[in-house]
Amino acid sequence: MKGQRLVLTLISLLLIAGCAGSKTKVVDKKGMNLKVTEIPSAHSPLIAFRILFKSGTINEPKGKEGIASITASVMAQGGTGEMSYNDVVQALYPMAANIGQQINKEVTVFTGNVHADHLEEFYDIFSNLILNPRWDESDFKRIVDEHSNQIKNSLRSNDDENLGKAALNLFMYEGHPYSGIGAGTVKSLAALTIEDLKAFAAANYTQDNLVIGIAGGYPDGFSDRMRADFSVLAKDAPAVVELPEPKPINGIEVMIVKKDNDGAAISIGAPIDVTRSDKDFYALMVANSYLGEHRTFNGALMRHMREDRGLNYGDYAYIENFIQDGGSTFPVPNVPRRQQFFSIWIRPVSHANALFSLKQAIRELDMLVTDGISEEDFETTRKYLLNYSKLWVQTASRRLGYLMDSDWYGTGYFIDKIAEELPKLTREDVNAAIKKYLQAENLKVAIITEEAEKVRDMLLSGEKTPIVYQAGSVSQELLDEDKLIESYDLNINEEALKIVDAGELFEG
Amino acid sequence: MNFSKSSLLSLFALIPLLFTFFPADTKGGEKIFQYPINVGVLKNGLKVVSVEFDSPGLIAFYTIVRTGSRNEIEPGKSGFAHFFEHMMFRGTEKYSSTGYNDILKGLGADHNAFTNDDITAYHSLSSSDALEAIMDIESDRFLNLKYDEEDFKKEAGAVLGEYRKSITSPFLPLIEKLRDTAYQTHTYKHTTIGFLKDIEDMPNQYEHSLYFFDTYYRPENCVILVVGDVNHESLMALAEKYYGNWESGPGQPEIPQEAPQTEEKREKLGWDNPTLPIMAIGYHGPAFSDREIDMPALDLLSQVVFSRSSPLYRKLVIDEQLVDFIQGGAGDKRDATMFMIFTRVKETANVEMVEQEIYKALEDVKNVLVDEERLASIKSHMKYQFAMGLNSPKSVAGTLAHYIGLTGDPETVNRVYELYDRVTAEDIQMVTKKYFTNENKTVVNLSYDGGE
Repeated sequence: MKGQRLVLTLISLLLIAGCAGSKTKVVDKKGMNLKVTEIPSAHSPLIAFRILFKSGTINEPKGKEGIASITASVMAQGGTGEMSYNDVVQALYPMAANIGQQINKEVTVFTGNVHADHLEEFYDIFSNLILNPRWDESDFKRIVDEHSNQIKNSLRSNDDENLGKAALNLFMYEGHPYSGIGAGTVKSLAALTIEDLKAFAAANYTQDNLVIGIAGGYPDGFSDRMRADFSVLAKDAPAVVELPEPKPINGIEVMIVKKDNDGAAISIGAPIDVTRSDKDFYALMVANSYLGEHRTFNGALMRHMREDRGLNYGDYAYIENFIQDGGSTFPVPNVPRRQQFFSIWIRPVSHANALFSLKQAIRELDMLVTDGISEEDFETTRKYLLNYSKLWVQTASRRLGYLMDSDWYGTGYFIDKIAEELPKLTREDVNAAIKKYLQAENLKVAIITEEAEKVRDMLLSGEKTPIVYQAGSVSQELLDEDKLIESYDLNINEEALKIVDAGELFEG
Repeated sequence: MNFSKSSLLSLFALIPLLFTFFPADTKGGEKIFQYPINVGVLKNGLKVVSVEFDSPGLIAFYTIVRTGSRNEIEPGKSGFAHFFEHMMFRGTEKYSSTGYNDILKGLGADHNAFTNDDITAYHSLSSSDALEAIMDIESDRFLNLKYDEEDFKKEAGAVLGEYRKSITSPFLPLIEKLRDTAYQTHTYKHTTIGFLKDIEDMPNQYEHSLYFFDTYYRPENCVILVVGDVNHESLMALAEKYYGNWESGPGQPEIPQEAPQTEEKREKLGWDNPTLPIMAIGYHGPAFSDREIDMPALDLLSQVVFSRSSPLYRKLVIDEQLVDFIQGGAGDKRDATMFMIFTRVKETANVEMVEQEIYKALEDVKNVLVDEERLASIKSHMKYQFAMGLNSPKSVAGTLAHYIGLTGDPETVNRVYELYDRVTAEDIQMVTKKYFTNENKTVVNLSYDGGE
């Protein structure tokens, strides 16, 4: 389109300008060898903090699953040496400042956002929560209760879509440090003590494991002050947790999770050996966007399953762990991983259409692998991503998070990296990456359904699974394709097929 | 929404949103919204609003239709405004649904839509160079929407899927029950996504969709809002070019008003899957107004009693840990709304005690004036929350769209702010006595019944 280059340039100017003055420094002074990532913006009235430790759930000792999340939560949603949790709440309230924590597989991040009017008062509390936590038994009990109820009364019972994703992760990474969820298990939570938390914090929240992130309208010298303050942490980082190769998948391996519900939630996935650090990642980005860009109608899955057939609310694909940021369509930053996975998310479908939907999603993937992407789709999708990716970093906090992730992956600023790599791609590069990393034969599947036995029997029988339309006439073209989908051979691994009661998951 | 497009704001997300747009106090008569607001009106009644925001090369574009589930007055038509929002993505003769999406894809735009009780909003974030292209495709679907019955029925399946994903959470049936019980005649009786029986009947409502479009998707009922790198004069010229031929509508039917509630109502709701008991308490309250003090005073009351800094929160969540969350507030609505309180109790045996603690906290406000220091702290919180929320063209547009939806006038944001500044401890006490009475109250308790 005419003017496209200008579009790109202008958006780049706006959104990357925030990073033009950014820097990541390692200052070698005695006792101050701390890494700082900063994006100063003198005119901004807002300041965003991201205090990142390179430890997450993979650093949890065996039997203490959930300790990474409990420890960070008791610190961020607790008190300091001088202030109780209620004191902290009362102090932050007139500022409308917020403090949060985000725990993932490999990193833990303490976030803070404040108006410049209150920087000093806020920072005093924020830094003390991390450097001088109160470790109050009452806060500990409250946080453990929250986590336990999250497993027992929310995830396992009233949140089928996230249960599907958690079950897939568990199934896909059996015996691997990535297995499990941040909240741990009901039993492991019950066994934790405050002393366990203190030991975990001392071992993992260390100088060598730390990246200090700050962005916005803070005064000159503030980051040096933070470096000095955080140098009270212990020095050495814990040993790096080695990640084994995930177990190979043999055929279509299905875990059916049984619980009462009004429709089936389905997640499909397989580990892939590619991350943002790899050149191929950028070719695979284009392929994935074409197959199922998150919460858009661009993807083949969405167009063919929802728009053409009205099967459900949405169908998307991913080539890395994706956690949506609030109500936006963009991913949260600061969830990096050394190993990634490909996945398809099928939002709840009627029980009658569960297996038709599963077959259609895998068939769409199969067709992408077999046929590749057309020249036209390659060009339009690449152009889309070049523009759309600029929108991912609209706030200082998100820019900061992306910059820190870029350091983690060693890519240079990720948004710039996309702008650099995508124009160099050819359709052949994309199709080669598809062939190299994606396949439709060996996949793990989690299905959340109350019709567990029926779904198992249907999968084992290999019967046709025709679509049931809610109403209306359907074009002959669609009906013809429906015949192919209902008979699509899933190559089910019968030995791996299992039914699990939802109440048994994450119990211990 | 309709795309994901359809975005009904998630129900759980709706609760915190009640507090999102609280303006705060002013100093020296300054307006809370400090960016100049430009307004123009076409001959057909279409209002065009722009705000220049420091975001070079970027614009947020909103079309606000001042129609939502409030307008679903016909029996059996609950959820229709939201369903129709989906249909707005089904194309025209000029741009098919695929063609429409391809253009936005080519622009790299982030785009979506949502429906609530009072409005339906279609929004995008894109480069400012794309303004004319966006006005071309947006005006085309508002003037020339065209879909066949087959597409209509398919889209009904997507809406049913949206309900299906939402109903895994107990909050949807809880809110459904609270509204259905508390209201008799007003359309706030149903949620925006609608009753399941009406959603299941949507494939049969093609003819009603034609009436709905003809009645509500008219220029005098809509507002165009552009925030970011935009020039108002150029915007008005484009508006005339693309929307000038849009014909005014035949007028809209009246919304039936709700008679005062005369006695307390209580309901119980069983839930098939394990959950902690959840309690919802609703009190009928006022409609939104940027002239009257009642709603602003209730907004401050919600902070006094239910914010994290409140004594009730400290007692129930922090000290005694009887509940895992509690919140209460009245969302801004065009018609008389409810002040809703939600809490999740950790032990079934404590549900009644928690309910009594809530009433005691409200009675305290009736008996003792909120002290000035606390009032100042609350106003400070609201001011900074407002300021920290205005950090991108999208968030600025979202804030203005909220107030435009309520009154049609973007200056409402400043008038409401002035009202917040004027709220006194006496005002808070007055509205507490006025609205928090037993005969004005509805209570719904949801609990796990193992599918019985």
